[in-house]
Amino acid sequence: MIFNIGDNIVSPLGWTTAENWSAALAECSGLRPYNGTFGLPEPFFASLIDEEKLNERFLKLPHSQIERYTKVEKMAILSAADAVQSAAIDPSAPEVIFVFSTTKGNVELLEDLRGYEPERPYLWRSAQLVARHFGNPNEPVVVSNACISGCAAQVAAARLLQRHGYRYAVVVGADVLSKFIISGFQSFKALSLQLCRPFDADRTGLNLGEAAATIVYARDCADIPAGRPCVTLAAGAICNDANHISGPSRTAEGLFAAVSQVLDGFDINDVAFVNAHGTATRYNDDMESVAMDRAQLTDIPVNSLKGYFGHTLGAAGILEVILSTQELLHHRVLRTVGCETPGTAAAVKVTMGQESTDKSAFLKMISGFGGGNAALLVTVGEPRTATETTGNGGGVKLLAEARISDTDALLPDGTKLSSTSVDTKQWLGELYNHLGMNYPKFFKMDCLSKAGILAAEMVMRAVGQSNEELKNDWGVVCFNSAASLDDDRTYQATIQDPENYFPSPSVFVYTLANIVAGEMAIKYKMRGETSFYVSQHFDKERLEKAVADVFARTGAHYLLAGWVDYDNGHCNVQLFVFKIEN
Amino acid sequence: MEQLIEELKKEIIEVLNLEGMTPADIDENAPLFGEGLGLDSIDALELIVLMEKNYGIKLQNANEGKEIFKSVRVMAEYINAHRTK
Repeated sequence: MIFNIGDNIVSPLGWTTAENWSAALAECSGLRPYNGTFGLPEPFFASLIDEEKLNERFLKLPHSQIERYTKVEKMAILSAADAVQSAAIDPSAPEVIFVFSTTKGNVELLEDLRGYEPERPYLWRSAQLVARHFGNPNEPVVVSNACISGCAAQVAAARLLQRHGYRYAVVVGADVLSKFIISGFQSFKALSLQLCRPFDADRTGLNLGEAAATIVYARDCADIPAGRPCVTLAAGAICNDANHISGPSRTAEGLFAAVSQVLDGFDINDVAFVNAHGTATRYNDDMESVAMDRAQLTDIPVNSLKGYFGHTLGAAGILEVILSTQELLHHRVLRTVGCETPGTAAAVKVTMGQESTDKSAFLKMISGFGGGNAALLVTVGEPRTATETTGNGGGVKLLAEARISDTDALLPDGTKLSSTSVDTKQWLGELYNHLGMNYPKFFKMDCLSKAGILAAEMVMRAVGQSNEELKNDWGVVCFNSAASLDDDRTYQATIQDPENYFPSPSVFVYTLANIVAGEMAIKYKMRGETSFYVSQHFDKERLEKAVADVFARTGAHYLLAGWVDYDNGHCNVQLFVFKIEN
Repeated sequence: MEQLIEELKKEIIEVLNLEGMTPADIDENAPLFGEGLGLDSIDALELIVLMEKNYGIKLQNANEGKEIFKSVRVMAEYINAHRTK
């Protein structure tokens, strides 16, 4: 368990946690219709932060220079500054680590760099700038796990505090909207043109929103500032559906597993409510209802905050935990704004008005593209020992290794293959043929996923596991530098020219870094944790620590893990299979 | 109509990256989804883009595709009746 000692939400509803809580309690919504914004040919309904007001607020910070930072960076800095102040910590101390959660960072700069340096769209670059603004000396951890990023970042923070010697973790989540993101969701036909209706029988899709949110976590409860209530992140889990990169499991396999893990040993009578992802898409809300049904949670009130803030992407898992914590502290469970007539695959107790509660815990659920699902358990008051999922002790053994570069591939048995192709893209096709694979989905993938799947096939064959049998005790941990920027550029080309504007859904679905990890989980039916981290350079020690963390904190016995990068037509993959020895 | 069916088959193979397939491999009367080509929901969305890009037909609701994408022949008939380019 770790302890929330300071938090903040920056959204159209306010600049602090208190302001956002007051607005939500009054059932205000930041969502409204937009037409012509971002040069989009179609209208949309969203929650946007006014950049002029953001700049005014930002200028009040010491040493702030508006022109140095992009919108998402300003939001993240503003949010972290307030949270750090309320936690009364020195963010420049080496005992503090920054964890940055974002799905797309500065992706809008692909359309026009606006004078920023070419590295600025890289997620690690934004994270460094945010951490350096506070004088923090540590390389920030960047979590980019699609919609579950915010919750995955909190799971990562717990490990950094409990296993890697840090005293405080500043977990910052932020995303902004742009032509890139909205056109992609429009091409998916996933957006509602009106206020979204989570869990409603007639829900028609989601609304997107901009926000930044920060929680400062401490390792020790002694570091909770005087007068602040004890808020504990008691448990967290991440599980993959191994089903489809953009469609959740109809039987909620991953979410049910994650929920079961965090509630293991915890009395569900103490759970005041479930804060669901509740995006208001048909499949997500149905899937969450099935997970709650399977976990016997259908008598517990469930709410969604999407009708207040929209889906705030990388900030969602943090923002919603902060607001749900306020609900517990104020003994008030919020209404699911937008829902009029509940109707989901399994009947659940959607909050149709505000409800009072005297219970002291809530369950957070979240799911996303790439098959990822996460659950967190938060308590207030006297810290209680939820059974933290105990993993496996013993040594970590390397079972197989494969490498792919622009010109060569090194197979696990030591065989070296050299490219006879004209470029790296063609080389990946050559490798596919060389391996004699029969996986038609390969041809639909972006180059990052192709490179990842080829290396995965090599190592999975080497350990005799390249079959499609269910592997509940296998997980995936990937790192890279470019996230999905290579595919992002391909997608940008489909929307760049107004005269030839045809956003491609099959390209957009790969504009998330973690999809490659999801593709591996799907192909080999791995239902353990899938995590994706972004860092400037490949750091073997960091990879090994992440691998050891997953073994120590989850039920995984095997991990497919490594560096999987593809950028500007250049490929660098080093993939390993690790086993924990009991 | 037969010419449009052939044209559509080629376009479907290209936009959906159906590697190794030729127009002769696609039965214009067989269901596009479910068994057969192994297409999924993202492919259906990409077919909606194809209809707009190549034939000027705009579908607002992805559910409309369910009827239109029953087979290549049904799709061709729909395009014939609604195309604007």
